[in-house]
Amino acid sequence: MTPEDTARLCEAAAQAVREASAELRLVDCAEVLEALAAEGHFAEEDTIGLEEARALLPGLLAAHPALAVLESRTGRTLHHAPEQLSRTYARILDRKGSPLLLMAEEIRANSRDYPRPVPAELFEGPPFELPPEDIAHAVAAMAESPDYQDISSVTTDTGAVYLFSSQHMERGYAMFLAEQTESLTLAP
Amino acid sequence: MTATPGGFAGRVLRVDLSTGKFSTQDTVERYGDVLGGTGLGYQVLWEEVPQGTGPFDAANKLVFATGVLAGTSVPCSGRTAITAIYPSCWPKALVGSGHMGGQFAAKLKYAGYDAIIVEGRAERPVWLFVRDGHVELRDASHLWGSGIRRATLEISQEMGADCCVAAIGQAGEKLAPLATVVNSLSHSAGGVGGVMGSKNLKAIGVQGSGCVRIAGDKGQWERLVKFHLSILGANNQHVVPAFPSPESEYYSPGSRWVGEPGKRWGAARPPVEITGSIHSMSRIAYRTNSAAYFLGEQAWKHTVRGNGCTSCPIRCHTTLKVPAMATKYGLNEIAQGTCIALNFGRFFFPGLPGGPKGQAALEACMIGMNMADDMGIWSNYGQLQRDFIKLANDGVLQAKLGSAEYSSIPWDQWRAGDPAFLLDLIPRIGERRGELGNVLSQGSGGPFDHWGVPESAWEADRATTYWKMGHPKHHANEDDGQCGVIINTQYNRDAQCHSHTNFVRNGLPVHEQKRLSGELWGSPDSVDAPGHYTRMNPYKARRAQWALIRKELHDCLGLCNWMGPWVASPLKERGYRGDNSLESRFYSLATGRSLDREGLDLAGTRVFTLHRALTIRDMATADMRGAHDHVPQWVYEDPKGAQPFTQGTIRMDRADMALAMDMFYESMGWDKATGAPTRETYGRLGLDAVGQALAEKGLVPGAEK
Repeated sequence: MTPEDTARLCEAAAQAVREASAELRLVDCAEVLEALAAEGHFAEEDTIGLEEARALLPGLLAAHPALAVLESRTGRTLHHAPEQLSRTYARILDRKGSPLLLMAEEIRANSRDYPRPVPAELFEGPPFELPPEDIAHAVAAMAESPDYQDISSVTTDTGAVYLFSSQHMERGYAMFLAEQTESLTLAP
Repeated sequence: MTATPGGFAGRVLRVDLSTGKFSTQDTVERYGDVLGGTGLGYQVLWEEVPQGTGPFDAANKLVFATGVLAGTSVPCSGRTAITAIYPSCWPKALVGSGHMGGQFAAKLKYAGYDAIIVEGRAERPVWLFVRDGHVELRDASHLWGSGIRRATLEISQEMGADCCVAAIGQAGEKLAPLATVVNSLSHSAGGVGGVMGSKNLKAIGVQGSGCVRIAGDKGQWERLVKFHLSILGANNQHVVPAFPSPESEYYSPGSRWVGEPGKRWGAARPPVEITGSIHSMSRIAYRTNSAAYFLGEQAWKHTVRGNGCTSCPIRCHTTLKVPAMATKYGLNEIAQGTCIALNFGRFFFPGLPGGPKGQAALEACMIGMNMADDMGIWSNYGQLQRDFIKLANDGVLQAKLGSAEYSSIPWDQWRAGDPAFLLDLIPRIGERRGELGNVLSQGSGGPFDHWGVPESAWEADRATTYWKMGHPKHHANEDDGQCGVIINTQYNRDAQCHSHTNFVRNGLPVHEQKRLSGELWGSPDSVDAPGHYTRMNPYKARRAQWALIRKELHDCLGLCNWMGPWVASPLKERGYRGDNSLESRFYSLATGRSLDREGLDLAGTRVFTLHRALTIRDMATADMRGAHDHVPQWVYEDPKGAQPFTQGTIRMDRADMALAMDMFYESMGWDKATGAPTRETYGRLGLDAVGQALAEKGLVPGAEK
């Protein structure tokens, strides 16, 4: 296989990842190969073979500067194009099947990075789309689980519930930030 | 019409209402050094309005001034500053400006003028007709006593649909210090309506078929406009969406970028669904929905569209349609507004059934927008509502109002959170009816003067958010620690500065903000995480100075400081950088006079210092530190007793704030002991004559009389 063949494979695979990302899908190497095969990429005798591509693809996708790798909660290695599907959004999509993990990791990231607690109603909207009763159930379940003992809540004077991670934020500070966020629409 | 220089329309119109005479001056020759806008207003007041002039004296002047960039294609360039001796400044009226967006600024320039200086007092009510260099005073007797809507409609019918009318309502006619001038339905300038009323000037109608000439290369201009569009966020330059998006690494639930694909303007016919890329330059107007930001999800179904100013894609004045308004209250079912004006009605209630985002809140907002923008009432950044609640809750109203008046107020409706209460209260204020309406319409100074309520009671009560001189805080320590406090000490009204808060609330994580801060102001330590403040340092002083000067520059150039400066952006590929030189790049291209960032900032500093000089002259003291740059008691307290510089408090430390003021004065070139500009500083800024005049009065530190 020539360097040109490898470059062609790499770009075709990257394009398949971009297209999946534009449809808000994370893909693994097998899915990329499937997409390439469906496009007839391996049909010509003078092009790179399927098995050869299967061996090369993980390295090519991992090294591509416009693509990102995500180690899925299921153990799969997934790929996406951050230009079309941001790292933050990709992580949310990956965790959507596990509400507790989904909420906890989002709460932790917000407490750590911004820093801020997040309103519980955040999880009602897209892309989370959890019904209020599921959110309440998840908060209760996290309180019982040793894996989520850092997840806690504060309630503002207006009755809004905010969630934060005690790994990254003191309760008093979470309360202050929650009250401040509420005040933005009450005393701008 | 003579050839105009680039950017400027070229002429300033003077209207003497006492004599009915008009004259013009060359803008650049006469006012070029102060850029336009507030700078032009300050210069007129400095040169022509004697110390001791009262706000409603015929000798006070009312200066409607746009700027170089108004009427061009620069985004967010629809602003007009209205400067005068400002009536709600307590206990003594001093220089101040109201600022309005809408279409007035562009129309005025297309009519051939950069500014209108209104002098004297007409014998009877008049309105000013301005069309393509033709000016008349016309009788307004038939409009006097009517609201802004009727005045606007009648004048529009007389002039033609493409005019823009800036008018006062009943509050302005009755010389209420809390009166607005309103154009384009909802675009209001606070505090100056009464000055207009004192001159018997009901309205100004402007209409123009001209244009604004751009002196520089047109291709370069178009590219810069497109670049500016590319770095815009949503309202207040929030650069990340409020919702997680596949197109953004960051989001912030507190962001005003609420326009998410899938949301609908439900009251539009047919309804409009938001689709496509959130970063598309042709969809910027969908990002902001002020009603949804303040009133939550329910507002989407009532949204007709976003409204806004000339050349501004942000459209922060959301238009709402609520049919219940007609059936329940007999009011127009459509209203529009943003921020405090949108919340005018809701903020009068300590509680509302369904909470602050329920149906009653929505109806209260609709009543408030409809009535306040028609009667021309200003909320003083919500202080009117906070004053009313405190006066009622503290028993002051019951104690001070006569029993007949007190019992005539439908308190049951107020306690129940019934929006119909506003149908009684708002006209009292707008018409200055009874003791309650008369006192409230004066601003916070009203209860202080009239009922002997001590100002210290307001200063000590954090819930009032009262700051000083009759006005509240406007993005102070709750947003930005020492920078916010410094900024709030400087003006004679609420600070109206957004340069700092638009950065700290932009929605980026703190590590990104600190990285950008390091590039912009020399150190990441110039910015703190909210409510986790560190001690004062010189970089914070530099940032406070930058924020104030940019605010003043925007008010001079016709730019919107509610949106700018644009030093952060949504663009990941730019490392979320905006452009700190945007204003000077536009100024240079528009005028053909090349001025770099430092040069334009120097001009902004000149204007800001002229404001300081006017304040010093009219207060007759150079001791700004002791007599003017006041910080209220509540800033130094915490309801839970938290110490300054601990996480979760906005409590500031007195010694640290004293150091902050030292550093700020020093960076401005002002005397540290008094906070007054030195003679050298006046000279460096081209204000020698100002320095000389103040020195002769003993108002320059260290200068001989």
